[in-house]
Amino acid sequence: MPATDPDIYIDPEHHDGTSDATPGGEQTQRRPGELVFAAIMLIASLALLWSAYGIAGFDALSSPGAIPMATTLAMVITAGIILFKTAKLPLDHSETVVRDILPPVVLVFAGLLIAYGILLRPLGFLPTSALFLIAAIKLLARRGWGWTIGVSLGSLITIWLIFRIVFSVLMPSGVVPEAEFIQFFRNMINGGAG
Amino acid sequence: MQAFLDIMTIFTQPQLLLLVGLGTFAGVYVGAIPGLSVTMAVSILISFTFSWDVYPALSLMIGIYMGGVYGGSRTAILLNIPGAPSAIATALDGYPLAQRGEAGTAIGVTTVMSFIGGFIGIGVLALAAPFVSDFALTFQPRDYMLLAVLGILLVGSLSQGSLVKGIFAGALGIAIGAVGRDPLTFDERFTFGLPIMENGISFIAVMIGMFGVSEALLQLHHVNKDAVRQKIDKIVPSFATVKKHLPLSLQTSSIGVLIGALPGTGGDIAALMAYDHAKRVTKNPERPFGTGAIEGLVAPETANNAAVGGAFIPMMTLGIPGDAVTAIMIGALFIHGLNPGPMLMIEQPHMFWFIVGALITANFFMLIFGLTGIRLFTKIVEMPRSVLIPLIMLLSIVGAYAVNNAITDVYWMLGFGLFGYFMRHYGYPLGPVILGVILSRLLDDNWRRAIISEREDLGLFFQGILTSPLSLVLFIAVILIFVSQTPIWHKGKARLLGGKAA
Repeated sequence: MPATDPDIYIDPEHHDGTSDATPGGEQTQRRPGELVFAAIMLIASLALLWSAYGIAGFDALSSPGAIPMATTLAMVITAGIILFKTAKLPLDHSETVVRDILPPVVLVFAGLLIAYGILLRPLGFLPTSALFLIAAIKLLARRGWGWTIGVSLGSLITIWLIFRIVFSVLMPSGVVPEAEFIQFFRNMINGGAG
Repeated sequence: MQAFLDIMTIFTQPQLLLLVGLGTFAGVYVGAIPGLSVTMAVSILISFTFSWDVYPALSLMIGIYMGGVYGGSRTAILLNIPGAPSAIATALDGYPLAQRGEAGTAIGVTTVMSFIGGFIGIGVLALAAPFVSDFALTFQPRDYMLLAVLGILLVGSLSQGSLVKGIFAGALGIAIGAVGRDPLTFDERFTFGLPIMENGISFIAVMIGMFGVSEALLQLHHVNKDAVRQKIDKIVPSFATVKKHLPLSLQTSSIGVLIGALPGTGGDIAALMAYDHAKRVTKNPERPFGTGAIEGLVAPETANNAAVGGAFIPMMTLGIPGDAVTAIMIGALFIHGLNPGPMLMIEQPHMFWFIVGALITANFFMLIFGLTGIRLFTKIVEMPRSVLIPLIMLLSIVGAYAVNNAITDVYWMLGFGLFGYFMRHYGYPLGPVILGVILSRLLDDNWRRAIISEREDLGLFFQGILTSPLSLVLFIAVILIFVSQTPIWHKGKARLLGGKAA
């Protein structure tokens, strides 16, 4: 099998699967936190197997629980093998969880994304997105406020125009009177034409 | 004749033509920006085309697919980062060429070869699919079930990383696909008594989370890396170069179509196998492979684009996806109320021929965009990640929300995004998860049909498998994949190969 041939295992700089061509992980070492992840997977698989058993038990081969039980059993077995194999690998001491797996910036962004989800309905798409983009771009680019706000609002307006008009996607409008706004422009254009 | 007219549909409607062009353009550039993959682009876009008619939606997605498979090669050549799985092998000789200052030549050859490969793939699709779908009508439910299992296993075993992790990912996908009320008996499955879970988990939320948000989160590790500037000059290759490599390109295209047509295997595996083939048949390369051999570019690039046509064969005739992107396309067809499989070919043949037409168009656009716009290209590649990453995240949220106008989908998407982030870090492949989610229903339905028709008797079920040649072949293939991963196989192989070498 050519793909598993170590000669052509391409890993440009890291083991994180940045491109979906490279799934990440290390083949000969255990990354920090990998053992914990494998253990959680096994526990979760066991819980799912129990849940699948609860659907119909060993009622019939054609019961709605048959395939769920078979797949969760497969998950339990594979998760067990993975845990066993992972435990045997030596730990990669050149990496740490804080630096290589879950750096603060990723945690901050996860927080920002969750905050976005919470604010989306009450505040509406435009204000929430504007806040999100300004905070995110400011954090990453570390440039002046003028540049940050300009780039954020510019790209937000482009995205909004494309998706509202071309894809007709309706996002929660929240506190912004979006529909009235569009109607205002329609009236203006029609008024100008007439 | 009718088929020809259906192929021409696309040329009679400027709007569709424009969409294919737009899609191809977007695909080429999205594929070329490091950190944006085709899978990501297609999964985010599918949710936006939800409200469209099926023809425009398909036009856009086919364009992106075709353009993206090609576009992935650009970053492979320029930055040694394959933009798409199918471009892994391209980096092997493409990057050394760029280091020698021949990036222009490399891109030119890649473009023309992708075009040739693409056409061979489409040709085979047009000729073979009608026969395959006739044959597929004789498939029993157990054959579909075996094909689905085979597809998931093939993705798990042939993509990089370990098969065990691949099987785990595939099984997880099937379980995710089973969440909610069972469509046949209305029993609750994996809902944990929560009303929110009764309608199941939107596969689009899973997909955008895994391919959009998790990738964006990973890119945060690389924010401060400067974009690499490359000088690119003339890119249109000379006719002599193309002619010289034509025989090889025909061979590798055939490999591409064949591998692409296997359920579960797509352009990435086709490209690696073709590269391997080129290495064996090329007696005197101008430069050794791995240091910038043109043959090392021709082989994977013809094969991965030929595999696009190939991958549509099982997708259109059996409803079984070739790779992550075709899995998403199947999801798109479902959303638009179409059911890919042999009946689609019989009931709506014009749909099939329309897709062939769109592929042909996309192939031409790919050639045009591939050979022009280099200045624009270098600008786009230099787009700062500090702006790109927040925008991808925003688009992912909009995409997840847009399908059902449900905030719950956004939470699912974020959850799977974080989960996918860890999966990537620890080497769990994500392709099988998506394939599992898409195939969950097909697998479940066909298993139950098969076992009910054998009156719930496992003995009769296996007797059925053993007495039907098709089922037997599929069953043996499934078993072989398992055995190939056990120590016994490796020992046997070592003994056999050792014997030959001596």
